[in-house]
Amino acid sequence: MEPELAVGLPAIGSVCAAVLRARPRAALVAAAVFGLLGLAAVVLSSPGVTSNQLGIGLSLSPESRALLIAAGAAMALTVVLAPLAVERAILLTWGLAGLAGMAAIAAAGSLEILILVVLVLAVLQASAGGSRSFATRLRGPVLAVVLLSLAAVCARAEGPVFLQRFAAVGLVAGLSAAVGTLPYMHDFDPNERTATSPIPWIAFIGPVLALAVLARARELIPSEGGDLGAMMIGLGLLNVVWGNLASWRTENGAAAWHYSFIADWGLVLCGLGLAIADGQRAAILLLYGIVLSRLPLYLWSRQSLREKRPNDRPINLLAAAMLAGAAPFAGFAARVLLLRGATQLYWPLALAIGLGLLLWLPPSLRLGRSLGLPRGRQAWGIGVALAVNVVIGLYPQPFLALAGL
Amino acid sequence: MSTTAAFAAWIGAALIVLSEGRRGLALGMALVTLGFAGLALAAGQVEGAVALVAGGGVAVVQRLRSGKDAWGVMPPGSTARVVLAAGVGLLALWISTTVMSGPGASIRFAALSVLGLTAARVLTPSDPPAVMTALAALALSVAVAAGVAGTGPGPAVYVLAAIVAGGISLIQVSEFDGA
Repeated sequence: MEPELAVGLPAIGSVCAAVLRARPRAALVAAAVFGLLGLAAVVLSSPGVTSNQLGIGLSLSPESRALLIAAGAAMALTVVLAPLAVERAILLTWGLAGLAGMAAIAAAGSLEILILVVLVLAVLQASAGGSRSFATRLRGPVLAVVLLSLAAVCARAEGPVFLQRFAAVGLVAGLSAAVGTLPYMHDFDPNERTATSPIPWIAFIGPVLALAVLARARELIPSEGGDLGAMMIGLGLLNVVWGNLASWRTENGAAAWHYSFIADWGLVLCGLGLAIADGQRAAILLLYGIVLSRLPLYLWSRQSLREKRPNDRPINLLAAAMLAGAAPFAGFAARVLLLRGATQLYWPLALAIGLGLLLWLPPSLRLGRSLGLPRGRQAWGIGVALAVNVVIGLYPQPFLALAGL
Repeated sequence: MSTTAAFAAWIGAALIVLSEGRRGLALGMALVTLGFAGLALAAGQVEGAVALVAGGGVAVVQRLRSGKDAWGVMPPGSTARVVLAAGVGLLALWISTTVMSGPGASIRFAALSVLGLTAARVLTPSDPPAVMTALAALALSVAVAAGVAGTGPGPAVYVLAAIVAGGISLIQVSEFDGA
């Protein structure tokens, strides 16, 4: 019953928060209670055990469960220590809707259910308004829905061998379109509210979606694992280079953060594409970093970005070190694992990734400065995000064990 | 029966691409729904067919209640869309009958053509009523596409797709720039 509760309770919390919008305190309490109960259902769920209470087989994989817990923790952190300008009830409304969708994506027993959940999330987010047009907001996720559906048809139909390869292309392209990495980058308006911007797709829903799509891909096209991996590594390297260069050179601070997510996703795609234990471990650590550290830091940088108050205090340099993947942060452990995995597979790949890692330094310094001079809740939040990242970097094994690795 | 149902679904999706008014869009959605329900029935999925009719029915009724009160089929400047509807249909027919093999060519044709046409409608500049209708049809086509496998997806996927299609059509979009 836990997977059903993991989907249902956050969804109820989100609806409660939306209905009680006129009474923010009641909305906050109701959403927090249901959100915590949903998170408890995720924590208490047995990974890999299928529940069939609603006529649909639902099961959480260990990796997805671990990232759901991380996403829940990140949401709790950002709600408790939300910047003064952000209304917590609204943050909870959208966060819990995303969490319910992520739980549904993670638990979906078939690719079709996963696709339908992505479609629902896309329509809900697009209909919420925002500075981008309705069609623009829908474009990336709907393209993902179509590509994943076509991939499923190609994988399931009888026919020549190349149909399976088309399926592999469709799955990688669909995943890339949903997350918003190259070549399907979502249009980004720096002034848009975070909940209605493409950030939730790349930093909140994306990690669970990627793991779920790849799990389904392994079942649908077991013979095309090599092609799938090669495509992901190729796309990953492209995103590493483009994401870092754009994050460094773009004039807009919020856009620089957006590109930095793309760069991190480049490494994640490389790790997942390696299809060996070290690569998977590296990818999971990087995804923890995106959800638990990079996303909260982005949220706390927005006020400072609006006020154009960059700063060079030690906290800014620490944040830059974390964003760059320096020791002892989680990114360092992930990079070591990734290089070791790439060396096992094909050493020139390790060389290419190693050269790509150098590109993280200039944009990370810039992003660290963009946090300004943190005060109050923002300072506490940044401190907690950095501390969590250090703990994961120093003691990665418990976090990897949580993900079944 | 399955061949007729598949062509009905394609014509319905073509109407969604070619229409701007609420009546044209609703007729397109109704044809897609009936075509898909026929295909589900032919595959022995009675519960699935009922669910598709229910979900598609809600979408049709909702579409008849909002949007431009007209048929709006093939307004001036629709040549490219006519070519698109025919081209996607022919491509889907070729892929489903020649490239792919085995039983279930009708389902393959219907799924591929509706996926392609509704995607084109959503991804090109369109008014929200047309986009929402295309999204509802897209949701139904995701479930029908799962029937390409010999085993079929089971009623749960059809029911979920029907709920999604009906739910999408109930959402009100306030922004009409469609750019």
